[in-house]
Amino acid sequence: MSLATPPKPGPENRELAILTPGQTAPVADPRALPLEIHDLTVSYHRKPVLWGIDLQVPKGKLVGIIGPNGAGKSTLIKAIMGLLPLSSGWVKIFGEPFQSNLRRVGYVPQRESVDWDFPVNVMDVVLMGRYGRLGLFKRPKKQDREIARECLEKVKMLPYADRQIANLSGGQQQRVFLARALAQESDLYLMDEPFAGVDAATESAIVEIMHELKSRGKTLLVVHHDLPTARNYFDLLILLNMRLVAFGPTEEVFNYELLQKTYGGRLTILSEVADAVRQKTS
Amino acid sequence: MTELIPPFDFQRVFIEPWTLDWRVFLWVVLMGFFVAAACGLTGVYLILRRMALVGDAISHSVLPGLAIAFLAGSLAGGGTVAGGESHDLRNPTLMFIGALAAGVVTTLLIELIHKKSRVKQDAAIGITFSSLFAIGVILISVFADKVDLDADCVLYGEVGLVASHPFVQLGGTELAPWPVARMCLVFLATGGLVLAFYKELLVSSFDSGLAASLGIKPGLMHYALMCWLSVVVVSAFEAVGAILVIAMLILPGATASLLTHRLPLIFLWTLAHAALSAVAGLHLAIWLDCPTAGAMVVAGAGLFCAAWVFSPSQGLLPGLRRRLSAAKVEAPQFDDAGGVSPGNPATPVARR
Amino acid sequence: MLRQPKIWLLFALLLAGLLPAEAAKIGDLTDTNVLDQAWRFFSLRDPSLRAVLLGSVLLGVTCGLLGSFIVVRKMSLMGDALSHAVLPGVALGFLWNMTKDPVAIFIGATIAGLLGTMAVYAITHTTRLKEDTALGLVLASFFAVGICLVKMIERLPTGAKSGIDKFFFGQAAALSTEDLQLMTGVTTVVIAAVLLCYKELLVSSFDPGFARATGLPTRLLHHGLMLMLAAAVVIALQAVGVVLVSAMLITPAAAAYLLTDRMHRMLVIAAAFGVASGVLGAFLSFLGNNLPTGPFMVLAASFLFGAAFLFGPRHGTVARWWRQRSRSQRVERENLLKAIFRVLEDREFRGEGATLQELCALRRETIEQIRQAVRALRQHGMATFDEAGEAVYLTPEGWQRARAVVRNHRLWELYLTNEAKIAADHVHADAEEIEHVLGEEVVRQLEKGLAYATRDPHGRIIPSSAEILQDDPGRRPAEGMVGYGRKT
Repeated sequence: MSLATPPKPGPENRELAILTPGQTAPVADPRALPLEIHDLTVSYHRKPVLWGIDLQVPKGKLVGIIGPNGAGKSTLIKAIMGLLPLSSGWVKIFGEPFQSNLRRVGYVPQRESVDWDFPVNVMDVVLMGRYGRLGLFKRPKKQDREIARECLEKVKMLPYADRQIANLSGGQQQRVFLARALAQESDLYLMDEPFAGVDAATESAIVEIMHELKSRGKTLLVVHHDLPTARNYFDLLILLNMRLVAFGPTEEVFNYELLQKTYGGRLTILSEVADAVRQKTS
Repeated sequence: MTELIPPFDFQRVFIEPWTLDWRVFLWVVLMGFFVAAACGLTGVYLILRRMALVGDAISHSVLPGLAIAFLAGSLAGGGTVAGGESHDLRNPTLMFIGALAAGVVTTLLIELIHKKSRVKQDAAIGITFSSLFAIGVILISVFADKVDLDADCVLYGEVGLVASHPFVQLGGTELAPWPVARMCLVFLATGGLVLAFYKELLVSSFDSGLAASLGIKPGLMHYALMCWLSVVVVSAFEAVGAILVIAMLILPGATASLLTHRLPLIFLWTLAHAALSAVAGLHLAIWLDCPTAGAMVVAGAGLFCAAWVFSPSQGLLPGLRRRLSAAKVEAPQFDDAGGVSPGNPATPVARR
Repeated sequence: MLRQPKIWLLFALLLAGLLPAEAAKIGDLTDTNVLDQAWRFFSLRDPSLRAVLLGSVLLGVTCGLLGSFIVVRKMSLMGDALSHAVLPGVALGFLWNMTKDPVAIFIGATIAGLLGTMAVYAITHTTRLKEDTALGLVLASFFAVGICLVKMIERLPTGAKSGIDKFFFGQAAALSTEDLQLMTGVTTVVIAAVLLCYKELLVSSFDPGFARATGLPTRLLHHGLMLMLAAAVVIALQAVGVVLVSAMLITPAAAAYLLTDRMHRMLVIAAAFGVASGVLGAFLSFLGNNLPTGPFMVLAASFLFGAAFLFGPRHGTVARWWRQRSRSQRVERENLLKAIFRVLEDREFRGEGATLQELCALRRETIEQIRQAVRALRQHGMATFDEAGEAVYLTPEGWQRARAVVRNHRLWELYLTNEAKIAADHVHADAEEIEHVLGEEVVRQLEKGLAYATRDPHGRIIPSSAEILQDDPGRRPAEGMVGYGRKT
């Protein structure tokens, strides 16, 4: 069984089958799949943003989502989280609809999506990761604080626990978000551009944590912007440009032809791609 | 309920105003039109610049400016307002100075609060105008004998009484009541300014960066617009009050931008909306026996709702019909290179 | 989260502090003895005044709590639109049986308010109009409908003396027992809701996407908040009036926002400020004869906001200005220390004091400016004058600080030329800035990274940290100190 299921019927998708080289061993129990997407279409004002996406993500992998601006990368994450209405198709998480498996999903939104002047400190934000498990009306307990402290320790932000979040650098803010996701103690993590605007130290810290999560059998889906590093960071890549251009092991899909398909005629990015590919072959 | 809503009498509501008392009602309608048109033309830019609520703020904070101007006028003129013969105490120059000062102070305060602290702009607007308005209300209630403004006028103006004001005399003939003449002047000036600075306003509203690179100072345009807004608001103040003027600022432009996407046409629709709401509002006020300014705004809101439902391009009804007739999502088209052109028929499509 | 005794203490102090503050301020507003009036107002003997006071407290708490969420959700002007939009509902509630029946008015107004928020939502979601336009539109249109209805009611024989016009600017004296019962009910519900759903409200205000992703019913929370907001607006109407009620939501909360960095403290402070401005406003309007209450409450709230804006310990303008000033003074002092070091260095550390003349020449300033600056140094115990007042001697502290600043400057220059490959003649300006902010930890790393170099790019000596620490005046007896610039 191919990871990328047969594409949507329709003339415009016919060549898609050739473009999806991801061939791995068949998965015995489909319920064990962390993420399964079938014929997902999302649209704004009747204009599609994602079109007929089919995806089956295996367990314990680091998956990068790459594509040009406006390709629908963040939309894909949001659609998986059930934050957007779907025009068609379905998303299953560990074999069940998203709403019934909330606790198994951790989420790192884009840093710009919140107001960093908000009157909370670092600890408060990380504790929010526990809220989903607490249930309505219940307050965080000592045990939750302990977990939050551990997660802060992991991202090396424990000394800042009492800081107001506005007084953090961009990289530190991103680490706080990561700690919050860790505090969710999930099995599938969805991260929306965690590397955007962070310093090198934070970037390597995040990568380290990603690998640690992976080694514990977690699955990570990461929207990524930077092509050259994408090749090194991820096991599997999703090449996305409104439709699924390709999905498969990084070494197989990270080639000039597929990237050109993904990025279309965008020359500046194409030269970047050429560089990346040259780097790879040299 | 029958007492509340008088029976609808076509003769009384539609015919008599234009046969028996047409002298009075003509001026009321004209005043309503001038107010709505002058406000509406200015308001189009507020909507474009997403500053509709700054208009809200200025319309409230003009009140203390006016109150202080009246106080100053009565102190200079001496004595208190006696009965209806109050017109002479209203010094138009002082009023305009007061309003301009209030407008500038409001703009500066909003900017000060949201730049110098972490309070966001919306809260800054709310704090500024409510404080200034509170000062205004206190002034007019404490110095009620010296300030020729009452709370009712602040709330809904007195456009219905416009014909009772003295008339402008020119060579022995009575031209128009003073407030109407003044408002007409403001309307003409607004129209003139819009025509004269059309492209500057357009560019600075659309893209202040581009405007700066073209040598148009966006900051200057901002303050000029705020000053003009204060002038328009203070002229409209007596007619429609502090709060209904917001409707006069926003309703015409909002209705127009539901009907068309092109700026020149938006201005035409704005004028049309102003005229229609003035006439319809008058008849509504006669029928229901309620404040004319309020009725004009209700009529304007009705027109907005009509545009909202029936507008061919963005209306609810045509949209519903489109949704029923067409597919939910337009199919995208993929070209050879793998690039996508969502629903753009101009791009060649590769299908085999 | 609300169990912080400190905060409650502050709250109590605020209330207690109100009494004298008010009495002192109103002196000239009325002829009667202000203290007597204050006594009458606050002694709780007069039942009608008791009602006013209780009403102000209740509305202050409700508005402060809900306003905090409104402010941090950046929905301040939604509060404004909602408060204007309730007017037609008030009129219709009044029509129900032609009396000021609080329950009928409450229901009518709440429905109208919710209709207003829904209209804003519908306009922004189905047209291209932006939210600000939609808010202004709904606000003014609903208000116009309300005005027409109110005037039509007043025209009726039963409506003329109803006092419905008191809803415009508020009259706390008109509060009835039923009004107070309703206010108490709403306040209780709001406090309970905030306590129970604190964490839900917090996360859905901070990061709505995340809140939805963790399965919180954000939309329900939003509508619940709107419903409570409408209820709060309605109970505040009698006292504050339609036009200004939004200020009671926004202003105390915004003032609290400037004073703290934690949401739960913000809630408590905002409630305290709400109560303070409510009581103060009621009292002020009580002093004047039959003045509307609303504007005074709003002014009191604005006054509190102004105080927080100017004098807030962390975000206040004055505090910030003071910090900036002391920072720039420190930079000035350190620059002079550096200059003295340079003078001594140019003499290869022969002789002990630097004359003012030499400093003038180096810093290109007049002798008076230098004298002034040295006085500041002397105040901080870093330098002394000689008897004639013409030469400067550094104290051990000054000498240590001077060398530390010079070290920072030269280390940074060296770092830029070596590591960042910037030409040696381009690094001075950058080092001038950075020398004042480098921490000891970073300096230690720099020294290590530069292999404890002793010469800067211009060939001058870099004083080493070890050496500077050795001369720490705290560790060595001052008498045995033989340092440069020490007057013997």
